[in-house]
Amino acid sequence: MNKLSLLSVLIVAVLSMVSCTKKEISSEKVLNLVVGSEVKGMDPIYSNDRYSSNETARVYESLLEYHYLRRPYQLSPNLAEAMPEVSNNGLTYTFKIRKGVKFHDDKAFPGGKGRELVAEDFVYSIKRLADPKLQGLGWWTIDGKLKGLNEWREKNTASETVNYDEVVEGVKALDSHTLQFTLVKPFPQFLYSLAMTFTSATAKEVVEFYGKEFLNHPVGTGPFILPEFKQSNRIEYVKNPNYREKTFPCDATEEFEKIAKEYCGKKLPLVEKVIVSIIKEDQPRWLNFQKGNLDFIGIPKDNFDAAVTPSNELASDLSTKGIDLLIQPSLDVTYTAFNLDLELLKNKKLRQALSLSYDVNTSNKLFYNNRALPAQSLVPPGIAGYEKDFKNSYRGHGKEDEIERAKKLLAEAGYPEGKGLKELTYDCPSSTVSRQIGEYTKQQFAKIGVKIKVVQNTWPELQKKIDTRQVEIWSIAWGADYPDAENFLQLLYGPNKVPGANGSGYNNPEFNRLYESASTMQDTPERTALYEKMTRMAAEEMPWIFGVHRQNYVLKHSWLKNYIITDFEAGTEQYLDVDVEAKKVALEKL
Amino acid sequence: MSSNVQSKSLWRHAFEQLCKDKLALTSLIIVAVYAVVAILVACGVLASDWEKSVGPSYNPPSLEHPFGLDIFGMSVWAKTLKGTEVAMSVGLVTSLISITIGVTLGALAGYFGGKIDEGIVWFYTTFTSIPYIMLVVAIAFILGKGLMTVYLALGLTSWVSLCRLIRGEVMRHKDREYVQAAGAIGGGDMRKLFIHILPNVLHIVIINFSLSFQTAIKSEVILSYLGLGVQGRPSWGIMIDDAKLELARGVWWQLAAATLAMLIVVLAFNILGDALRDALDPKLKGK
Repeated sequence: MNKLSLLSVLIVAVLSMVSCTKKEISSEKVLNLVVGSEVKGMDPIYSNDRYSSNETARVYESLLEYHYLRRPYQLSPNLAEAMPEVSNNGLTYTFKIRKGVKFHDDKAFPGGKGRELVAEDFVYSIKRLADPKLQGLGWWTIDGKLKGLNEWREKNTASETVNYDEVVEGVKALDSHTLQFTLVKPFPQFLYSLAMTFTSATAKEVVEFYGKEFLNHPVGTGPFILPEFKQSNRIEYVKNPNYREKTFPCDATEEFEKIAKEYCGKKLPLVEKVIVSIIKEDQPRWLNFQKGNLDFIGIPKDNFDAAVTPSNELASDLSTKGIDLLIQPSLDVTYTAFNLDLELLKNKKLRQALSLSYDVNTSNKLFYNNRALPAQSLVPPGIAGYEKDFKNSYRGHGKEDEIERAKKLLAEAGYPEGKGLKELTYDCPSSTVSRQIGEYTKQQFAKIGVKIKVVQNTWPELQKKIDTRQVEIWSIAWGADYPDAENFLQLLYGPNKVPGANGSGYNNPEFNRLYESASTMQDTPERTALYEKMTRMAAEEMPWIFGVHRQNYVLKHSWLKNYIITDFEAGTEQYLDVDVEAKKVALEKL
Repeated sequence: MSSNVQSKSLWRHAFEQLCKDKLALTSLIIVAVYAVVAILVACGVLASDWEKSVGPSYNPPSLEHPFGLDIFGMSVWAKTLKGTEVAMSVGLVTSLISITIGVTLGALAGYFGGKIDEGIVWFYTTFTSIPYIMLVVAIAFILGKGLMTVYLALGLTSWVSLCRLIRGEVMRHKDREYVQAAGAIGGGDMRKLFIHILPNVLHIVIINFSLSFQTAIKSEVILSYLGLGVQGRPSWGIMIDDAKLELARGVWWQLAAATLAMLIVVLAFNILGDALRDALDPKLKGK
């Protein structure tokens, strides 16, 4: 009898626990996101790929951000109180920092309480990005731009310890909440770099407290908190209870006015929790979305035909479930890069021949469902410097005469029918589609007798290989850091060679000179003309085989509110909302 | 001399028994067919044009292409044949490596005992604690990814069970009369071990060979599926990796072809291994 009652008590207890947890999950606003690759770590100065910088930006904040509801993209103040005052000569930028912004509570601070953010934190964070001992991967964004910073970097390269106390003229705190940048020469894109994750505010005591482990202990001022970062397949952020009074924007461009009206003035962030799942493969990602475990995803290529009709509409079985389709061209370019440090690949005719042999139309059909735009050079449509009617004369489409030309070029390069050319190594990330693209490239090159070996790598492994120059040919893509062609052209600027973003190591004095003069100019027709000249130059020299400009096809569930496709995703999850009631109803249907 | 005559009759006896077992005989023929296919592919007689695109992307199975076409319009049939070459070569080379190491170390440990035995036992117990995937990654780091890495990694990790068996068997044999007789007429250690004892434990090697062969084939498929195996040429594992995306659009033939090819050969090897054991193991004789 006694045993039986104990058992029934246990059963009731278990049952009530189950129901309790269930209730808890459904009444909390949780955002379920997905990332398609391993995340390197949570240190702003190393967040040079989209995956890491998206994660880092949930915790850290920068001075500026992109206005969530405005297109074309426009900068707006974030940790800065307002847009900066710029001196007449375009060299001095003075920021007022927001008052009362607190760092997350952490044991690195005295008493475990996060202290107030001051201008000095930015001075420290910028210097940290420039620290020669740390080799921050975002150094290129400010390299040669701020007065005295390069000298400071050089001076500290030789010395034992890096002296952060020395005042650098280029980045100074005038008082506790006033920050001043002084540039070497006018550089209008400088403001964009202040919206990037690299320049977000970090606290000196936290960096010193954790030392090397700082990578795994993000402490910022942002809307979400991550107590510790572990390499696992799930990252869970919770809302920052002490987040400053930041509210949803009320002004918007026409297409987003409805969102602005509905959410204007609401306190951010809108959700309690952000759960990021790391799912590398397309199919699990797709199935998880269909089960409602993810709030939105890009459509995997193999599910494309099932999800989108030929007239660009959503398939009916998905739309009845309340799923929405969003389409937007993205500011990016895919490419196959050559390592130009190698004597062999310095041969321009060889590169041109390889590009001509590569049939871009078929690759568009096989890997992008014919929805991408074949790239003629490196600047994508939507920003100045892109020429709609420009055709790259070394762009291959699988035509007979192109192959003949490619063969001729290959012979002129010194390798008739590929004779005398060694087998080249082609590195790609390890996903199935990347490998298939590699195999496709192999087929294309084989048409003119050039042999390659396809090698798969994990994403960090590939990055490392590029940085240590252990690559010959590799495939990769670039998404815009800011909406300016300069951001693409810098990929070919000689002094930006690794560890900068110029992975191929292209170094052409003429190109460098044009880049240098264009990068100091305001947005004028003259600058656009320079940009166009440079893109044409790249199209002639072929340091890469240009791939495609992709389009974003995103599916989202009905319960996700305010989602907008953006090329600058970092930090935008604070604007997203989850309608818990609608989610309950919608989940029934899935 | 006498052991020689005896072992000959053992082999003949085993062969006769094998021929009586229809299932085992079929398996043997299947394995032989796979071997011939692998050799013909390696010589370039079969499937030499596997890289050629012969039709539209994802064309379903038809009379002309019984296994359909893949994403690039390559014949899945040709890729399966090419995969056979990889699978059979991995099975063969891996088994040879593991037999060479396993038999040598096992025989030495069993025969000499003492410090040598202790050393070898310590070595293989330590060695088995390394998972083979880790070893593949380590070897790939030195040699680069590819077929050679797969051979070495699988060969170097699969010899331990054979080594244990041989060691025990040699221990049992080393004090037998025929070995003593060999010693009495002046045979040295090496002669006793390799000329006299080894032929008497050879049946274990044969059985082990057929079993490790199919394990190696399965491991190669797994490694290639994970992207750690062969690079830049078809393998059943890579075909299955392709298929995991294609299935969403209803393309099942690549998965079917690779799985079927693997299933048949692994099953045949398993049946053959069992039959060989029945025929060769003296303890099971008469059953």
